[in-house]
Amino acid sequence: MPPGLRVNAVAFISAQNHPIIVRTFSAQDETTIKYHYIAHTSLDVIEERVNAAGGKSTDCYLGLLYAMEDVAVYGYITPLKVKIVLALALSDSVVRDVEINMIFKALHMAYYSSISNPFLTHNDDSVDGSRTLTVGSTKWKNFRRRIDEIARVVGNPTSTSIGGG
Amino acid sequence: MNSYPRELLQQLAPVMFVAGLDAPAQTPSAPPTPQAPVVPAENTEQPPQTPTRSQDPFTVLTLRLREALQAQRRVEIWQPDKTKSFQVELVGKDARFPPRKLVPPDDPQYTSSHSPLSPLTPSSPLHPDGIIAPIWIRKHTTLLPSVFVLFMRLYESPSQTPRSPLDLPDPDREREREQDERRKDTDLSAEVAHRKRFTNERGIKLTVVLMASRKMLDDPGLDTRLTFIRRQSGLDSRAALFVLSPVSQNELGDFVHSLQQALYEPALEYYTSHSKRVRRKRNRHASQPVPAYPNPLSPMGGAGVARPLRPEGWTVRYEYKMACFAEFRGEDEVALKHYQDAYEMLMIMFGSPVILPPRTKRWAEAKVLADCINIKITKLYLYNNEHALALSHHNTHMRKFGDFSRGWGIGEDTFEYWSWMARQHRILAELLEQGTRSTLTIPIHAPVVSSSALANASEKGSLASRGALPGMELDAMRSLGINPSQALQHPGYYYYMAARCTEARRARFLVALQAEESQGVGSTSPGFANEKKVDHLVIILELYTKAYELFKKYTITTSQDQNIGRLPLWIAYRIAQTYYDSGKFDMAVRFFERIAKTYRREQWGSMLKPLLETWYACAQQLGEMELSIRLLIERLGHDSDESDPGALEEDLLAIFKSTVPSSPDDPVIIDNIESQPIFDTNVVFWSSEVKINESAAFQLTLTAPPITQISSLPFQSLEVQFSEGIEPIVIQHVNGSDDDASESSIRKIDLGSIATGESSDPRVLQANLRWPQAGSLIFTGTVSSSVPRTITIIHMRLKLVEGAWKVEIPLDPCRTRSSFSASSGRWLSGLDPPKFIAVQREDFSSVNVRYPSHSVIVSLSHQSPAYLNEDYPVTVEITNTDSKELDVVMDVLLQPTDVDYAVNTITLDKEQSSAMIKGVAVGVLAPGVSVVKMLHILSTGAVGDRMIDISVQSRSIATSQPPNVNEDDSPISPALLDITDILQTVTIPTVDPFKTTMNVAYKRALSTRPGLGDLRTFDAEYWDDSDGGEAFITSIFECVGPWNLEIESFVLRKQDHAQAKVLESSIAEGTSGDTFAFEYLPGDEFTDACRVSVASADNRESESLPIPGPGEYCITWRRILPDDKRGSSSTSVFPLPSLHPPVDDLIALLDVTPRAKLHQPVPLTLTIRNRHPTRSANVFVQLETEASDSFVVAGLRSGRVPILLSGAEERLTWNLIPVECGHVMLPRIKIIDKRRSSTATADSEDNGIPVKIVDTRIEQRPGVPVTPVQDGVEGKESIIQPVEEGKVASVLVLP
Repeated sequence: MPPGLRVNAVAFISAQNHPIIVRTFSAQDETTIKYHYIAHTSLDVIEERVNAAGGKSTDCYLGLLYAMEDVAVYGYITPLKVKIVLALALSDSVVRDVEINMIFKALHMAYYSSISNPFLTHNDDSVDGSRTLTVGSTKWKNFRRRIDEIARVVGNPTSTSIGGG
Repeated sequence: MNSYPRELLQQLAPVMFVAGLDAPAQTPSAPPTPQAPVVPAENTEQPPQTPTRSQDPFTVLTLRLREALQAQRRVEIWQPDKTKSFQVELVGKDARFPPRKLVPPDDPQYTSSHSPLSPLTPSSPLHPDGIIAPIWIRKHTTLLPSVFVLFMRLYESPSQTPRSPLDLPDPDREREREQDERRKDTDLSAEVAHRKRFTNERGIKLTVVLMASRKMLDDPGLDTRLTFIRRQSGLDSRAALFVLSPVSQNELGDFVHSLQQALYEPALEYYTSHSKRVRRKRNRHASQPVPAYPNPLSPMGGAGVARPLRPEGWTVRYEYKMACFAEFRGEDEVALKHYQDAYEMLMIMFGSPVILPPRTKRWAEAKVLADCINIKITKLYLYNNEHALALSHHNTHMRKFGDFSRGWGIGEDTFEYWSWMARQHRILAELLEQGTRSTLTIPIHAPVVSSSALANASEKGSLASRGALPGMELDAMRSLGINPSQALQHPGYYYYMAARCTEARRARFLVALQAEESQGVGSTSPGFANEKKVDHLVIILELYTKAYELFKKYTITTSQDQNIGRLPLWIAYRIAQTYYDSGKFDMAVRFFERIAKTYRREQWGSMLKPLLETWYACAQQLGEMELSIRLLIERLGHDSDESDPGALEEDLLAIFKSTVPSSPDDPVIIDNIESQPIFDTNVVFWSSEVKINESAAFQLTLTAPPITQISSLPFQSLEVQFSEGIEPIVIQHVNGSDDDASESSIRKIDLGSIATGESSDPRVLQANLRWPQAGSLIFTGTVSSSVPRTITIIHMRLKLVEGAWKVEIPLDPCRTRSSFSASSGRWLSGLDPPKFIAVQREDFSSVNVRYPSHSVIVSLSHQSPAYLNEDYPVTVEITNTDSKELDVVMDVLLQPTDVDYAVNTITLDKEQSSAMIKGVAVGVLAPGVSVVKMLHILSTGAVGDRMIDISVQSRSIATSQPPNVNEDDSPISPALLDITDILQTVTIPTVDPFKTTMNVAYKRALSTRPGLGDLRTFDAEYWDDSDGGEAFITSIFECVGPWNLEIESFVLRKQDHAQAKVLESSIAEGTSGDTFAFEYLPGDEFTDACRVSVASADNRESESLPIPGPGEYCITWRRILPDDKRGSSSTSVFPLPSLHPPVDDLIALLDVTPRAKLHQPVPLTLTIRNRHPTRSANVFVQLETEASDSFVVAGLRSGRVPILLSGAEERLTWNLIPVECGHVMLPRIKIIDKRRSSTATADSEDNGIPVKIVDTRIEQRPGVPVTPVQDGVEGKESIIQPVEEGKVASVLVLP
């Protein structure tokens, strides 16, 4: 990991384009809303990329979506169409796709293991697809913890492994 | 871009001056340059207003030429095409060039003086502290051409045309004409020569285009005249003289094109020579680093003291000039190099306040120059599609100057800094926008390699970085990833950035303004007064609007979704904010309305919340009370600030109290379905299904938001609308007397039972409709229906009434505010403390009302198992044990069986089918009545289980028509009809009644084979069994079933055919009924033996095929039922087995009497048959007598039988006289076939092959083993133990 990689925010968006969670790691609180906008607008580019591939691509990693102001936004779409948006602090250096992809894989795993929690839907299994949204609710801390851990490890490359979340 | 001198930005191209094309449309008194003389061809021109003007070909030509030339190139910033086109300037004929130096060339100071634009010249605009100014570019684009094209008319003597060709040429006139022409040509040449002197002075190529009529072109004297003109005027020999006649538009285009082609090279030479000159100057300068000017190192002198340009500045100047000349030449790479050098040097200058003191004129000029050079460099990179390099340069430029700015005291907290940043973003956006309009394409930054290949790439990358694969390094690096800050995006992003920077600029400005106002101290910044005049918001709006347009253009909206993309919406949100900031609330509201639509639908509450807040502020400003109320109510649905949970409620109440609606009669209906509701609503029915008239309990819960307070909102009533057929109810608010109840967060209100009915006026109930924070109001009640239907709550409506305001809020019956937690069925089971039971059902918010099922008993009785081929009865008894009369219909389905060869039929009420009998009406059954139906099943083919589904449908007579059925309606779902289905499945095992065993043995025919010509064989009924012989068939039948049988008849039905016929059978035909008609118990057996004569076919091949049995046994039988009754008569058929007699080759048949009398001779006959189809046989016979023999033999002892041809036979006879009593053995006979065979070994040649001897008395052969042919009956042919071949039985000799 080059030291330049700093995660500003991570957003998970459901297949129905509803926000699951938007997690920000920058200091100021007033910028939180900015990452909501970034996550939301990323959907445009994600849709464009996915449509351009004609639905045939099996690749989850979508690459750099756009760079705006002080962030570079990267996208990832799981096979079940959950979108992960990663906002990195913009720095003047080459960002290696392989690293971003690795972060995304870890985030995907974090999501995957969180959603597998059988207690998630213990109380409410009524609406299909709610499970994906439930995982981001404040009630379930584990998912947040996993994301925070990944962001921490990315920003602090002395730890070696980020796999497994 | 407008903030920079255009000259410094535009794409340079070779400049061509065109003279002599003054537009005749213009009045001659106002030519472009006042000194311009009239065109020599003026005498042919007509005044512009006359109608003949357009007919004059030269006028048209002139106009077209002007048009064509001026259309060659447009002055653009983005102009990457490399077609050899010129920047054409139309000038007057005697256009003069600016002087090189201020002093005339003959002045002695000429060599030491400088160009009028040099900073060294006191009168120059650059004096004393300039570097290079736009005016220098302007000089080279508008005042100095690289080529000069002069259009002129060639003189043509006017008197030629009217002449008749018959007239003799008049020599005088001719001479006169020639002199005339010569004179005119000399004038023309002089003019050209004059012009030529001017252009030569500056190294500019002069080209003359002579315009002449078409006729003139054919004149033989033209060449001479042209040569004369060229010589006289001193024009070059190449590309200096053209002749043009009036031609069409297309040809004119060709001419202009070829003119430029021809002149392009001289133009390049012109600029090259300029470059060389500048390079010389630069080198000279570099070689003498010590400037010749006094006082170079005292920069901090007085403010007005001139600071001469330092060597760095001169380098910038020369590099810039060289870059420009290279650009004129179209050499982009060279230009880029020089621009970069100039830029680098500028950076050095900026880096030192000594060289370039800040906030001086030269500093400001250098800053503009640096910005412009940056754009040039960026542009040149972009021409080459080097996006990353371009952006990298631009970013570096901004970063460097950002750093410099801090040093200059205009750092990030000043509006100057942000103003400059905005300008940089904006100019890049404008450049990209221009570029995208022509050749630039914005790349897509999708990953180059798939993620699967990423690992690969990283390996390569690491290899490359270690230097193992130097060649691959670049590719690998590219595929590894991109630098996001160098990823080119569409110009909208940069406009957006410019807008953001302008926002920052405004913020800094406002801070400064505030500081000024509060402290009374004006900002020291010189630009502050100027800044005050700037309307920042207008600029921001303009930038955002541009960004919005571009984002919209670049967003690919999917076809089914014509909505604006999310990125444009975001920009739109910023626009709306800006409108709000600038006080244009109506505009902002319009934007908000559109944006909110998408945000609501996509449930991005976090973004919707600030939007609603601003929107509400707008509505307040505009005084739109209705909108304010709508927005406030929508905002109630979103969690408000925790700091002030009651703010929204207070605002709402204040509006209610202080204002009146515009139309007091109409209630305000808040019908925004997509927005978040105020209440979490939930409807739970306890059970999923109830019977008719049974009451179904439900609970309706309305939960107030957890943070926002709504406790004092004046809700007047709650309307609850049930699904069709259930009376609606209205719950009206009464001020609760039970205060203790309102304190607890959960209150339960019993609604009692809700009646069925369509009554229009709803039942009115009363309850306290005030919610504490996060409080729930649970309405409980029961509902029932007399007809089957699904009951649920369709919608609810809350009414707020306060003052003159009436607000209606429709509510979904089942909706949660937060998208995170889905609604689930919870049933309040106890109030204190509140306890809930989860209702685990998919559709907990509705209940189905159904008819109770009918009580009908279907019983089946039958005697299992069934026999094959038996008409098997199944008794179906249907009893109505219900209290109603029922119409009963029955369906029977015989399920397809997986048993092979099984063919089954079912019969019910004369209807017969092999699969299904549908809709057999059983009739109306009164309560308690039962009906019996007989179902018959006939199973044939094979044993195995048969399955039958019997479905009985009962339908109530009384309510067979549902009350609300329409004739034209779609089929009513069975749940609504009072129908009950009973399904019964019965499995019937089927077994064989008999087990059969059939044995077959074959015997050879004894009779002599008829001769080939025997006439008998031609008879129709001649039976030739000589090949086949006879077959003996023994059939054993065993009763194997569990039931007793009565056999009515047992017959062998003969089916003689050409190859086999039944000779006799042990059951005589016709009398069998008497013989076998008995009751048989399981295990009983009976048998029959029959003899069949087989006539094999003539050809041997067909003999390999089995011969079908010539008959079948038919057993007619009845089952004896347990009550000693007889079942129906059934017939089982067992065909005789197929026959397959064995075939012989060479065989000897021995025939001798089995009994003999002592001393009386008996004959012994040996028939040797050669049944081989082709081979003849050479047979030797030997009778060996021994002393112990019991016979005396008369006849051949040893001898050779004549050669037996194929099919022939030979008979040998001996007479035997027995000499002993008892079972005596016959003497041994040896028969050997000595036919040579090629395959035989030498050993067998001597001995020959022994021939089998068959004793016909004991002969019994099994058939050829045949693969069992499926003929329906698997009669088992047990293999008889064969009699040992060659064994000869003994003869019983009696005294």
